[in-house]
Amino acid sequence: MKSQPVTTTEGDVLVEEAVRTQKPWNVIVWNDPVTPMTVVVVIFKRIFGYSNNKCTQLMLAVHHEGRALVWSGGRERAEAYCVKLQVSGLQSTIEQDN
Amino acid sequence: MPGGKLFVRRRDGRIEVRINDYGRTLVRGAFANVLAAERDPDHEWHLALSGPIDPSLDRDDPLSMLAREKDTSTNAELAGLSVDEQFLNDTEAWAWLTTLQVTLRSVAQTKGLLTDEQLAASDEEVLTYVRSLQQFLFQLADCF
Repeated sequence: MKSQPVTTTEGDVLVEEAVRTQKPWNVIVWNDPVTPMTVVVVIFKRIFGYSNNKCTQLMLAVHHEGRALVWSGGRERAEAYCVKLQVSGLQSTIEQDN
Repeated sequence: MPGGKLFVRRRDGRIEVRINDYGRTLVRGAFANVLAAERDPDHEWHLALSGPIDPSLDRDDPLSMLAREKDTSTNAELAGLSVDEQFLNDTEAWAWLTTLQVTLRSVAQTKGLLTDEQLAASDEEVLTYVRSLQQFLFQLADCF
């Protein structure tokens, strides 16, 4: 994330502050050996509104790599998506981007 | 299990449920168990329903946990109320799908079925239950 310098003067003292944007939060879905692949695709489509191709790619990433990053952005929305995925029966967590 | 499709999307948008008495009994039990697990902290499945949202925190955001509990209960309640219906609307069918999937994940977690090998080595009764749930889910997902 790029920092935007902010410069102000207070009397004779020059003050420079850097405004930093927060790192995004990632929503992670974890693999399990029981969930049918088509169910994962349907849940991704319903929750995120992604295309069928994108949902299938994400499902295969979960299946082959054990986990997949399915959404990235602000913390509140990440938590909300994580809750929706868990309510739908998929194992999911959030983590802040490194 | 009978042959043919268990769930069929009709032209009027509703989903016809064609499962037999055994299937109805199985899903009725699944819906009741999810609801009971959500409400009873001592239920075998309760921990499976309340996994962490952010593992780096000791305590997750209470509002997120509340939203999860409320939504899970709502889905399980709606699924339970419509368990004997022959035709489901979209909201009811989604409640069935999510509650059956929550059931499947809860069974997998409580029985320690976390890998393909553990699943293959599980006892016959558990395996039959898991396969039945998977069959329902597979066919119901095809309607969306």
